[in-house]
Amino acid sequence: MIRKIGITCAVVLLLGLFVRQLARPQAAITTLSIWSHEADEPAKVAVRERVAREIERAHPGVRVVITWYDSEGLVVALKTSLPAGQGPDIFYIETDWSDLITDGYTLPLDGLIDWNTIYPWARKPWIYDGKTWAVPQEVYTDELYYNKKLLANLGFTLPPNAQFSQEQFLALVKKARAAGITPIAQGVGDRNYPGAYILTQALLHKLGLNDYGRLFGGHLSFLDPRVVAVFRWVKELVDAGAYPKNFMTLKLAESHYYFYQKPGAVMLPMGSWYTGRAFVPEDEGGQPGDFPLGIMQFPAMDDAACNECKVRAVGSSFAINAATPHRELAAEYLNAMSRPEIGTLWIDTVHLQTAVIAQGSASATLYPGYYKELMARQEGAKYFDIDPSDFLEGACLDTYVQVMNSSFPGGLLSVDEAVRLMNQACYKG
Amino acid sequence: MHNVTAPFKKTLLLLFVIACTVITGGPFLWVAALSLRTTPEIFDHPYSFPMHPHFGKFLKAWTQANYGQYFWNSTLVVVSAVFLATLLGAMAAHGLVRYPFRGTRATRFLILSGMMLPPQMLVLSLFQIMFSLRLYNSLTGLIVVYVATQLPMTIYILESFFAHIPQDLFDAARLDGYADFEIFWRIALPIGTPAVLTTALLNFIMLWNEFLYAVVLLTDNSKRTLPLGIMFFMGGHQIDVGMMATGLMITIFPVLLLYAFFSETMIKGMTAGAVR
Amino acid sequence: MASRIEAKEDAGIPRQSRDWVPLIVFLGPALVVYAGFSLFPVLKTIYNSLHVMKPHNVVEFVGLGNYRSLLTHDEIFWKAVKNTALFSVFGTVLDVGAGFLLALCLFAKVPLARFWKIVWFSPVLISYVVVGIIWVWIYDYNWGIVNTVLRWFALDALAHSWLGDPHTALWAVLATQVWKWAGFNMIVFMAALYGLPPDVLGAAELDHCGWLAKLVHVILPMLRPTVVSLLVLSLIGKMMVFDVVWIMTRGGPLWSTETVSTYVYKRAFDWNTFDLGYPSAIAVVWFILILVFVALLTGSLRQRDKLEY
Repeated sequence: MIRKIGITCAVVLLLGLFVRQLARPQAAITTLSIWSHEADEPAKVAVRERVAREIERAHPGVRVVITWYDSEGLVVALKTSLPAGQGPDIFYIETDWSDLITDGYTLPLDGLIDWNTIYPWARKPWIYDGKTWAVPQEVYTDELYYNKKLLANLGFTLPPNAQFSQEQFLALVKKARAAGITPIAQGVGDRNYPGAYILTQALLHKLGLNDYGRLFGGHLSFLDPRVVAVFRWVKELVDAGAYPKNFMTLKLAESHYYFYQKPGAVMLPMGSWYTGRAFVPEDEGGQPGDFPLGIMQFPAMDDAACNECKVRAVGSSFAINAATPHRELAAEYLNAMSRPEIGTLWIDTVHLQTAVIAQGSASATLYPGYYKELMARQEGAKYFDIDPSDFLEGACLDTYVQVMNSSFPGGLLSVDEAVRLMNQACYKG
Repeated sequence: MHNVTAPFKKTLLLLFVIACTVITGGPFLWVAALSLRTTPEIFDHPYSFPMHPHFGKFLKAWTQANYGQYFWNSTLVVVSAVFLATLLGAMAAHGLVRYPFRGTRATRFLILSGMMLPPQMLVLSLFQIMFSLRLYNSLTGLIVVYVATQLPMTIYILESFFAHIPQDLFDAARLDGYADFEIFWRIALPIGTPAVLTTALLNFIMLWNEFLYAVVLLTDNSKRTLPLGIMFFMGGHQIDVGMMATGLMITIFPVLLLYAFFSETMIKGMTAGAVR
Repeated sequence: MASRIEAKEDAGIPRQSRDWVPLIVFLGPALVVYAGFSLFPVLKTIYNSLHVMKPHNVVEFVGLGNYRSLLTHDEIFWKAVKNTALFSVFGTVLDVGAGFLLALCLFAKVPLARFWKIVWFSPVLISYVVVGIIWVWIYDYNWGIVNTVLRWFALDALAHSWLGDPHTALWAVLATQVWKWAGFNMIVFMAALYGLPPDVLGAAELDHCGWLAKLVHVILPMLRPTVVSLLVLSLIGKMMVFDVVWIMTRGGPLWSTETVSTYVYKRAFDWNTFDLGYPSAIAVVWFILILVFVALLTGSLRQRDKLEY
């Protein structure tokens, strides 16, 4: 009896699967297919799906199908399908996947896209050989967020350029720890970059754009005295108790909560996507309405090459498959996505910076001080356009994640061990 | 002397047993409690009883957090794979036992050695193969892989059971004019029901919990099975311990339900697959 | 009806050839699926392990090059081997030991034995993803039960980031693993214990043999085949461990929980290199090692009696 029921169930389910496969859309004349990352961010999904529906309404008979991936899966799927001449019409792309462009799988977009609605600097990272290969949607800078009230309570005042010296910063860390407050709410429980913020920004200041690039490109040794000096300073911070006790297992979302809710911390270095988690209602995990949020510059290094250097990166972007039969339609989708209204919608619902020149956003009026301060911190800065975790690969990436992102700031390694391990994995001589 | 220490020993033993039970069962009860509480409540008092149980969380998890979709995916994949693995496995076991040929021993060895294969030996190239067959990122592809990986154990258990059915029964049926497939369907399978049920349960549990093949072969959010769904929810945007606990309960629930009804069969089944 | 006629028609055909059709019908589908999606991938993995895969679908034959660099200068691989070895040996001993202890408790006629058995077995049925997440919470620095209990007893100094410290992480994962599998070994031991001839146990009792002496001299030797099978089984399982490590630590901190399986996965899908050749070589080496181990273990503990359960 049980067997019969079981078999019947299974047959019904199998049939269901079959019918579902058959029932896939075949009536539509044209299908525009899009592969996108960020399945786990509903607000981004909503924006992109909304634009898809607009295109369908404008073109009866066209279906726009977005397949949602996580980033690992998407990279793998693209790298496997594009060489075979398959793949979607439009796909999500990040600046470190540039081999997809150099390998010739994307279409030059200069004449296809209306670039007037996109910030020129956000377009710049996508220009190779004088042509533009992708449309940026999200942009961010790395910032050092802090709690204004706690900083004042500890007796520190930020100088007019919003940048402490490395000695002042160390003093701040020590004083906060002495007062029983965690100086920097950071954790590396589930990400491969946050633990390295202080260290990499200090390296960037000390070395300047060019040598910083050489360091991670494998052309400058980690044994360089400037690099070692920066590691020593960070080691002092670590030994002074800059990071929480559960630094190694604290997750990214938890570190936000740690910073603005419980137990509270003085600072949180984070990409400017900070707002994506912080500017949601408090009962959904956002920051309290009256939270005294401030932004300071990462500390200035002594004898630095470029204390005004910052990291800015273009996040989610979209490219068109060179093999697509629907290039006009694909371009139309990307243009629709880059309209100022959509930029505004992005800022208001996703709470992140966008490459689209937006107009009259509600968030900007909700948090006017924040956006003003952000713009002030970004004024006059020189930019390095990518985060190391995004362009390293192989053993160097693995060592970066284990050493610079977690074990060194986690206090498990000495300066000598850390630079030795990094040098061994990354330096090509 | 004996009389004095015996009750003392007994109490000690009982205390130990209760301690073990708290350690094994406690985490389940704790997660069950968490699943009915909201995240702010949990962060205030992680270990309190759900005073105001939020049963609505299950509805929310099902509809908004996508667990309904994951549950359907898991059910579809696992039920189909278990059905196919059991059917194909039973047929193969029957064939091996009742139709000996020159290559029987070699075939048996080939199939049974599959139980020793580490998944890592398969998963890297399966990824390539599924891609070229256009079965990558598809539930059908995952079902096929599941069937292939569960076949050796299924055949192993069923074969030994079928071998114990007296040959006379089959000869008699043949004399009665039963065709080959009818013999399998009408005689071998019904007599083998306990073993078939055991393997089906065993396969169900193993596949319901499977993670590695699923994480390599599926990427689309709408195709994720429950273990994947939960894993990605954990790495997601906000920390929502309460909602994760609800998801964990949704994952555990079918297994516990089966366990409640078939505890003895499942205990036997799980161990039968390993040591016979 | 049709089948009867068929059978009559078949009667004249020699048995040998008549049997081929049903044999193919019965064995064929399973063989096709198994060969296509288990055996073929294994062969392809071995083939891949002799190549390097580069962008643009360029596959370059390197012979044993992958194996050479793997065995000679891959520090992380050897770290992973060491961790996996520690994990397998200690995990196996603890697992089987805990299972035996639990089985003895039940065998000692504890009241409500059936109930305890069902509870103790339940972790075996739960997905590693679920188990891993629960235990990440249990080890949580701020609100996990381990540190909470320590703080209750005013042992704040012992409160620890269990999964965040390279000295404790592997052991913390190991404890989770024992928690999940002890119940499994218990059941097998129970069956073996109840399969012991009662007269032998009775005789030992008459000899005024102590409880411990009875255990060591009578019960354990008789359970030898069971112990051997469980050790082998547990060892194989642990040498392939992936899920629990991946969920709980992803091999960190400082590679202190990196196992061979997590390393294979990372090299294949996390290193941004997309070379499946090198990780395939690791998988092959490890597979051979597992086979050798199993052969050695079963060989050195050779036992005629096969465990019948």
